[in-house]
Amino acid sequence: MIATPELIEALAANAAPVRRLRPPLVRAALWLAFALLIVGLLGLSHGARPDLAERMRHATFVLGLAGSVLTGTLAAVAAFFLSLPDRSRSWILLPVPTLVLWLSVTGYGCLTNWVAIGPEGVRLAETARCFATLVLASAPLWLAALVMLRHAALVRPRLVASLAGLAVGGLSATALTLFHDLSATAMVLVWNIGIAAFAVGAGGVLGRRMFSWVAPPPAIAARG
Amino acid sequence: MKSSDRKPRLTLAAGESPFHGADVRPARERASRDLDWSILMARSQAGDRLAYRRLLEDVAPYLRALALERLHDRGDAEDAVQDALLTVHALRHTYDPARPFGPWLVTIARRRIIDVLRRRGRARSRETALDAEHETFAAPGTNLGEAAADAGALREALERLPAGQRRALRLLKLEEMSLREAALASGKSVAALKVLTHRGLKRLRQLLGEGSPPK
Repeated sequence: MIATPELIEALAANAAPVRRLRPPLVRAALWLAFALLIVGLLGLSHGARPDLAERMRHATFVLGLAGSVLTGTLAAVAAFFLSLPDRSRSWILLPVPTLVLWLSVTGYGCLTNWVAIGPEGVRLAETARCFATLVLASAPLWLAALVMLRHAALVRPRLVASLAGLAVGGLSATALTLFHDLSATAMVLVWNIGIAAFAVGAGGVLGRRMFSWVAPPPAIAARG
Repeated sequence: MKSSDRKPRLTLAAGESPFHGADVRPARERASRDLDWSILMARSQAGDRLAYRRLLEDVAPYLRALALERLHDRGDAEDAVQDALLTVHALRHTYDPARPFGPWLVTIARRRIIDVLRRRGRARSRETALDAEHETFAAPGTNLGEAAADAGALREALERLPAGQRRALRLLKLEEMSLREAALASGKSVAALKVLTHRGLKRLRQLLGEGSPPK
């Protein structure tokens, strides 16, 4: 271990000018614009689900959709704020109300209208297409979030990765709801809640490792 | 992890700093120190090395006090201070000079202190401290030097024995002959060899520092 004064000398000698990060709201807006672009492109290539107009007349559908969009958006904003060392941990509460709305509307829909299997039975092809949409929507969003939030690796890696996961999960679930006709209740549950829960859990468990993939932290990790 | 989330006890700046209580400096003095550090960091971000060195030299004792309060060990605390300084360096672009510097620094310091606590916990769960009573290392190869030194001392002590005792010990102990073989080889009786061996061992013990010195 080198002496602290020597370390300070070495760091001062390496003090190249740095570009300050833009305000967290601006960065969150940039990420959300990218998310809009991805979902828009997917919509163009895939087309909306056939019964979208009819569905939009149902309050539960609209509320559930609003829940997932808002949860994704607010979780992204919270992640960008929390990735900065001097911001309060209370930002974690930002997406909670909309998350509750999303979960309760989805749960209510499932309870009142449980459709074990859709009229056409379990459609493997549709399930595969759902999965493809999910991967195409979430992979670029997830990568962009990891790169834009990489500085959080040294401060709150798990929390920020979980919130980023919730943001990606919320927006991917929105894309699925808009593009795919999910008739079986179990499918609705899996594609909405399952994905979000998986993304949040993965962020919590693997957050540190995920960030080190995109940006290996400086000497600190090597010392650990 | 959870213990780290307790309310900490030192503070740098008024406002949203999570640390308050033990620092008895007047609030105004603290606020002016925070402002100084904020200005120094803004200059550092622009590439001013002198300002950056001054800032790091200024914050190091503060970080050390924070670390010592939690870690109670100078070595560990210094590890945490150095990790915190490296983090400050790596994250200096995330600081916004419009905001107080204290909370930014304190969060970084807390993260690195927690890291050291975790490392310490891991080390304790699988390592045992080595003290003077322990042999050097478990692998036999690492103790060869010691064995060679012992053999040298024994050889020297053997040279200082009377010729009869030395010969008896050599035949019976080093060459591992039976009493009968040794008697044949040396031309002495079995009883005489026994007496010589007994006296030789006793003398050897004295020479090697065990038992009481000869009177």
